[in-house]
Amino acid sequence: MSQSLRPYLSCVRSTLTAALSLSNFASQAAERHNVPEIEAQSSPELLLNPLTVSRNQDERVFVEPSVNSVRVSIRIKQADEIEHILVHKFTRFLTQRAEPFFILRRKPVPGYDISFLITNFHTEEMLKHKLVDFIIQFMEEVDKEISEMKLFLNARARFVAESFLTPFD
Amino acid sequence: MAAPEVHHLFHAPISDHSFSDDRSTLAVARDNNVELYHRSGKTFNLQDELRGHDKLVTGVDIAPQSGRIVTCSQDRNAYVWEPSESGEWKPTLVLLRINRAATCVRWCPGETKFAVGSGARIIAVCYFEQENDWWVSKHLKKPLRSTVTSVAWHPNSVLLAAGSTDGHARVFSSFIKGTDERPEASPWGERLPFNTVCGEYLNPTAGWVHDVAFAPSGNALAFCSHDSNVTIVYPSGPEQPPQAVISISTQQLPFTSLLWSSETELICAGYDCSVYRLMGDANGWQITGSLEKDNGRPGLEQREESALNMFRSMDLRGRASSADDTKLKTVHQNSINTARIYQESGGNVQKVSTGGVDGRVVVWTL
Amino acid sequence: MSNINWRTINIDALDPESAYNFDLTTLTPAVQPVSTSDVQTLSGQIRQLVRGGDAEGALRGALENAPYGADDQGKQIHLSTVTEVLGQIRQTEMTPLLQRMYQSEGGSELCDTLMKYLYKGMAQGTSHTTNNSVHGRSMTPQATGFSQAGGRSFGAAEGGGQAMSVFLSWHEKLVEMVGPGSIVRVMSDRRTV
Repeated sequence: MSQSLRPYLSCVRSTLTAALSLSNFASQAAERHNVPEIEAQSSPELLLNPLTVSRNQDERVFVEPSVNSVRVSIRIKQADEIEHILVHKFTRFLTQRAEPFFILRRKPVPGYDISFLITNFHTEEMLKHKLVDFIIQFMEEVDKEISEMKLFLNARARFVAESFLTPFD
Repeated sequence: MAAPEVHHLFHAPISDHSFSDDRSTLAVARDNNVELYHRSGKTFNLQDELRGHDKLVTGVDIAPQSGRIVTCSQDRNAYVWEPSESGEWKPTLVLLRINRAATCVRWCPGETKFAVGSGARIIAVCYFEQENDWWVSKHLKKPLRSTVTSVAWHPNSVLLAAGSTDGHARVFSSFIKGTDERPEASPWGERLPFNTVCGEYLNPTAGWVHDVAFAPSGNALAFCSHDSNVTIVYPSGPEQPPQAVISISTQQLPFTSLLWSSETELICAGYDCSVYRLMGDANGWQITGSLEKDNGRPGLEQREESALNMFRSMDLRGRASSADDTKLKTVHQNSINTARIYQESGGNVQKVSTGGVDGRVVVWTL
Repeated sequence: MSNINWRTINIDALDPESAYNFDLTTLTPAVQPVSTSDVQTLSGQIRQLVRGGDAEGALRGALENAPYGADDQGKQIHLSTVTEVLGQIRQTEMTPLLQRMYQSEGGSELCDTLMKYLYKGMAQGTSHTTNNSVHGRSMTPQATGFSQAGGRSFGAAEGGGQAMSVFLSWHEKLVEMVGPGSIVRVMSDRRTV
């Protein structure tokens, strides 16, 4: 499986590195404002072509670059209904605590499980390559996390079933 | 090649910087203020602060002869700062008449005018009006369609190049009656009333133009854009297609700033955090290398690592090393915002300075 | 009138001078319109080359004649042609082939075009990306809760994985050679494939 994980992640890495070329850009639509253009979408020329990197139908990353912000959306692997529920719970847990994550978007882009919004203020304050590392690390950890949770859940379910059914022996 | 001189001033982005003519004073745009540093020995010490803007300062330029400082900011204003008798800097508001952020400012070589680019799709060409004792502006509007990202002056102080996020680099005439003398005819045009568009250039991939620059002779124009291209235009004459338009696609991330160090050499810097050199003429250009020393820091980088860790990191992160790589190998630790001429003699630039998002100003010897 | 919620009208869209109505066509140099039948003929010729064993020539031909001016259907046909050609080339041949292509005349542009097709290929099957143009925005609220669980087809989980890994390994080889500059050009170029 990790056979195809490596090219996938390195593709995401190079795409993000290219997309994170941001500058401090004041809004053209409202005076004295400075807003992430990818969210405002008020001037089409300031948005670049969005790119998709996918590993298969169910795992992909969607990168929407603009002049001063990049939106990165991740679709996490969900092989069955349990994983779907787990992913939903997990991302919900994170997005509700979006503030300390700085770059986490409170709501994912439709069709994806979790989104990040990186603005020029983030790339100025933090190291760009470390931001990329963070997202890559998140992507590899989240898969592991979900499958661990699933194992744990199954083990627990088996245990519960066993102790529930023992009296009927 | 001497090692670059690094001045780490603070931990905040430097949106623009400018040295005075004698290179003893350095003006740096930091957040809402401009800080003036004075050279003492090998370091720069904070000397003065120009306060007045209430949004991010985007441009600062010191006039070489008169020593006046012009600043512009995202709060839509520009100020001209002059030292008063008591030694304090006194600001004069410029009547820009723009309703969006000002993005860049440059004095013309004659120092009688300066140009301010803005997000209002306007370039304000400002000059001093004697009768009223203030700086007023005339607007270059057509055919700008998006934010102006950079302006650059022709040596004759009349022609003005501008790059914009609409993907075009343009050459305008900014001739102002009473201030300017009639310029000599050049390949860009002969009769040049205000707002004449002498040239409009687009490269095939049409990325946002980050910076424009005229060659020292004024007979060529270079611009770098967000598609990692550098384009050089050689005009042939007024109203004629240019004799050569050379576009170089580079492998690097886009350049944000460029300058001509001689008629045949360009210095570019940008999101790659390092400075590159390009050489060529009307027949072709190519990138010749970086100004960084390539060897990095031997001894530090080559740490022992278990093979298991290496392969695991290659497998999981798509990256060969898991060693501590917080520090970049380049001198600048974040993207470079502006590159400027530091020292020149006889038309050849010997040193350039770069200011970056990492709060460093670096002086490079070519 | 009563049906229109005037509070949500984007007034910028009604002003032809506003930044919202920037004309993106001014950013593209004129492209020749290409009819779908032309694309079909071209793809026939390219397939001919592939069958003849000249995969490199086929790839070159496909990239040199990328139909920027074609409609969606034409572009789709050309994409599947390129995908087919890419699938025909073995892993070990990729790097030398790309090197030859990059060093040839106009090679940098060919590599950029190839990069566009790689991203386009990976975006396949996500209808989301194609109708995400600025003006065609539709921010329908996403259904929350588990009601959407049933709407997903888990059967096709690994579907397309094979094709994607072809794109991914091409992408890796290509980036090694042309650097991030090429990716930036794919993002900024308004001539889409």
